This record gives sequence, C-alpha cells and structure tokens, in this order.
Amino acid sequence: MSTFLQFLILGLMEGGVYALVGVSIVLVYKATKTVSIAHGQLLAFGAFFFYLFFGYFGLPIIIALLLCFLAIGVMGFVIERLALRPMIGQPLFAAFLVTFAVFVVFDGVFLLILKGGILGVPKFLPRESLLVGGLRIPEGQAISFVLSMAVFGIIGLMFRYSKVGLGMRATAEDHQLAQSTGISVKKMFSVIWVVSSVVAAIAGISTAHVIDIYYSYPLLGIKGLIVALVGGLESLPGALLGGLILGILENISAGYLDPIVGGGVKEVAAYFMLLVILLVKPYGLFGLVRIERI
Amino acid sequence: MRPCGVFDERYIQDIAIVRTWQHWLALIGALVILYTFPFYGSYYLISLINLLSILIIVILGLQIVMGYCGQISLGQPAFMAVGAYTSAILTATYGISFWIALPLSGLSAGIVGMISGAPSLRIKGFYLAMATLAAHFVIMWIIMHLKITGGIQGLHPPPPQIGNIVLDTEERMYYLIVTMMVISTFAARNLFRSKVGRAFVAINDNDLAAEVMGVNLYYYKLLAFFISCVYAGLGGSLWAHYYMVVHPEQFTFMHAIWYVGMVIIGGMGSIPGVFFGVLFVRLLDEIVLFSSPMLSSLFPWLGPGPGAALGLSAFGMALLLFIIFEPRGLAHRWEVIKESYRLYPFAY
Repeated sequence: MSTFLQFLILGLMEGGVYALVGVSIVLVYKATKTVSIAHGQLLAFGAFFFYLFFGYFGLPIIIALLLCFLAIGVMGFVIERLALRPMIGQPLFAAFLVTFAVFVVFDGVFLLILKGGILGVPKFLPRESLLVGGLRIPEGQAISFVLSMAVFGIIGLMFRYSKVGLGMRATAEDHQLAQSTGISVKKMFSVIWVVSSVVAAIAGISTAHVIDIYYSYPLLGIKGLIVALVGGLESLPGALLGGLILGILENISAGYLDPIVGGGVKEVAAYFMLLVILLVKPYGLFGLVRIERI
Repeated sequence: MRPCGVFDERYIQDIAIVRTWQHWLALIGALVILYTFPFYGSYYLISLINLLSILIIVILGLQIVMGYCGQISLGQPAFMAVGAYTSAILTATYGISFWIALPLSGLSAGIVGMISGAPSLRIKGFYLAMATLAAHFVIMWIIMHLKITGGIQGLHPPPPQIGNIVLDTEERMYYLIVTMMVISTFAARNLFRSKVGRAFVAINDNDLAAEVMGVNLYYYKLLAFFISCVYAGLGGSLWAHYYMVVHPEQFTFMHAIWYVGMVIIGGMGSIPGVFFGVLFVRLLDEIVLFSSPMLSSLFPWLGPGPGAALGLSAFGMALLLFIIFEPRGLAHRWEVIKESYRLYPFAY
C-alpha cells in the first residue's frame, strides 16, 4: 500500500508538469483552433534560456526568471507572427503542419546548442526529500507542483474575470463575430501565444530541476499533446486532470509492470493511454463532441 | 486538362498513362538510362540511387494513404521497421530465402498497419495523426523489447541470392531495388485508374459524402492503410538487406517527420510528387552536409559536425515555406510548367 502511495505522489508531481504543458496547448487551441506541437520546443527553449541567464550568466533567480519569460515570450510572438499568421483562414490541418515545421526548425537549433551534450541547471530548489509517514516527498518537485497549480489558478481566473480573458473566450467562440464586436483577433492571437509560451517555459524550468537539459526535451511537447487530447482540447480543467492522470499512470504502470516486462514501460504508457482514449472517447474527457455537416 | 485539339474517343484512351509517342520515348529512354547506369555511373551516385529508390517505395505508400486517401499517418517508419524485422528474422534466424521473406514482410507490415489504421474509422485529421504517432511509439517499443528482434543490438540479415549470385555489392543490389521501385511506381499509378483508387480520392474529398454515395468507408480506409503499409514493408525489407543491419535507431519519430515532409514538399496526391519530394529533401540534405565543414570553419561556435542539426533546421524551414507559399508542392509547379509547354504560343 505504501509503495502504491509513493508511486501516486511521484506521479502527481510529474503530472503537474505535464498538466502545464497541456494547459499551454489548450490555451492556444481555445483561442486560435490550432493544435500546436511547437510547444515542445518552447518548453525546451524555456529551460535553455533559464540555464543561460541563471546558470551561465549567474544572474539572481528573479531577474533570470523574468528575462527568461521575456525571451520566451518574444519567441512565441515571433512564431505566431511569422509562421501562424499566414495560416488564418486556411484549413486547420495546415496550421498543425506549420507548427510541426516550426518544431523541426527549432529542433535543429536546439541540437546545435546542445552539441550532443547536456546542460545542468544549478540547484535552485531544494533537492532533499521530506519523509511523511514513511513516504518520500521530493521537496523541490513539491514546490514546483504547488507553483504550477498556482499558475493554473491564475490562468483560470484570468480567463474568467479579466477583459483580455473575455476577449480570448470570444475569439475562441467565433473569429468573425469577435472581430465585429470590436475585439482585435490578431492581437488576441499574439497575446495567447505569448502567455502560452510563458506557461510552457515554466513547465520547462520545473523539468530542468529534475533532469538536466538533454536532446529529447522537446518530445515532452508530445506528452503535452497527449494530455490535451485526453482531457479534451477545449477544456482547461481537462488538461489539469489529464496531466495528473498521465503522471500517475506512468509512475504506477512503470512501478508495477517494469519488473515483469523488463523496463521501459514509462516511455510507452502515455501512448497506450492515448490509443485507448482515442478509441473509446475520441474527443477526450471534457471535450466538445462535434457533429459534422457536409 | 487536355490541350485544344486533343480528343479522346474511347475510355481506354482517356485513362491511358502513356498517351503519345513522345511519352513512350521518354519512358523507354528513362528506363534504358536507369538500367544501364551501373556501367558508367560513379559508385557514389549508384548508392545514392539505391537509397532514393528505397525511400521512393516507402513514400509512395505514404502518398497513397495520406495524399490520396487523406488519412494522415505518422507511423510509416514503424511499419517499415515491421517489414525490415520480419525479413531479417525470417532470413537470419530461420534461414528462409529472401524471395519468400520479401512478400511476407510486405504482408506482415500490411496487417500491422491495418490494425494501427483502425482508429481512422472514428477519428480523422489531427486526431488520427496523433493515433498513428502513438501506434508508432508502441510498435517501436514492442520491437525493442522482444527477444527475437535482438533488442537494441539489432539484427544482421544476409544479402539476397539468385542461384549462385550473391547480391552483396551496390551494383548488384541496384538492379533489384530499381526494379522494385519501377514496379511499385507503376502499381501506384495504376491504382488510381481503378475503382479502389477513385474510392480513396472520394474519401479524401469528404468521407461522409463518399459514404452517402456508396463507398464502404470501413473497407476502403482499412484497405488504404493496408496497401500503404505493404509498400512500407517492402521498402523496409529491401532496406534491411541492402544495409545488412536492422536497428531501432533507423526508424525513429524524426524519420516519420522526414517522410511526411517529403510528401508535403513533393505535393499531396501526386505520384511524380513523390519523386520530387524525395529528391528535393535528399538534395537539401546533401547540400547541407557538403557545406557544413565550411560553415563550421567560418563560425567556430557552431562546433564540429553541425551537419545533422543544420540539415534538420533547413528541412524544417523548407517545409514551413512550402506549406505557407506552395501548399500543393513541387508537383503543382511541374503541372504548371507542363501546361504552359503544351499551350505554348498561347497563354491559355
């Protein structure tokens, strides 16, 4: 029982990061109806910028974080402006392919930066573990979990109460109608890309605390896509739940199945889950079911 | 579109692939050049054509399911791997002849592909892309964790053999690979003159409308995946016996991206597009590899051997520009050039 609880806690911690990636993808989808795979790169570059400012230049952590968010925001803005703006009004799948191409471009750059090595971010959160009733809780991960929940809460509140959030929700509903009520759809697109890039960067920084930056960081973006699909592409709570489910499932399945099949279950559990969800509930747990017309 | 003054009197004429004597000349000329190439071509070019031909077989399969039938598949490398491993296990472990293993590898890849394509009955577009991506990772994971596939060590299949002739050099393998490429190109081109091919195109245009018109979606979508994966399996088998090593690293997620990119750059829904796409991407790669030593001496901070990473970025950039500025790919450009040649003195 206590091993089960231990896996549950570790899964919950990892799930928080997955949920953040998922949230950033859902944010973009809600406003622009574009499914983005490029967020994997935004995550990786977020972690890299943090390494650059905090580890390499040795700036104080607050300034490093702010500079990192600024850099990643600019990156998200540029991607939106140059690659996705021409896709407005094009088929939705073309926009997905554009994000795909952006992913490949930045993957090359990322590999060029790493030069086949790894980048270790210096310790910025405690790496000790708390022992609560026989269970081991990694302190740093717990802090970043709480922080990611806070980010999630802020985004939820922003969407619900602020004027920008209202504009975003209107844009998500219908681009033309939103434009005719005086909301600048183009501006909303830029804002949403900047915000979601920052969210992805936060996920990247929390990951950098656990694992050194290495070449398959961008593939975490695929995990984020899975989270978004499991929760339903339109649903922020769905992304949160999907992320937590994914983290817990990965850890529990790895913990119990690894000894039987000889390791590596963790890499593939997410894809099994995605296949099952797509076959049983194609639009995710909280997604809107679409009825198609000819 | 036919130029003014060309009329087809019979249906046979209308659907003919080779229409005029110039076409026959070009076809026969190209085949003669292709088959006599090892007598005067350089070693490098022969090995390049071998690689390109195998890729063309695989991408033809992807073009059938993606360009013609509209079902996006990101799992092509995994299906290729299934074919390669089937062939390698049959020949290396059980000592069965390559000529039996080749069709069997196509069949096994087709069956695995058909199962992986089953979600296409409920979902499409982006969701299907993710489902095939998941299938890719699951298949590759299973391959890496089975005993019979040699895990991450891979397998070493022997070269094929005709009678006493062992096909173990580039020139000898060349004839086998190029023949397979010609046959599969013809088969793919021919498919779209048949009922099955037209059903695929109808599904691509709108699957609900196709169903209303009497196209059995269940049957034809699975058939599209099956045919596509048979191509992938055959290509994979040739790949295995050409390189004489099969390894999970040869079939990664990045390869899936390359293959989809080749189809998009070449032009969706066009058989010549497959050739353009493969050639263009390969050429781009060669240029980057060729220029990377120069670049790394000009900009030392790039580090040694930036070729692979730069190639990736260049490919992504090409893909991006093609989707934004020329979504119908190089094949569309080719059609435009052909049209203006046919109509030459007139503008239309």
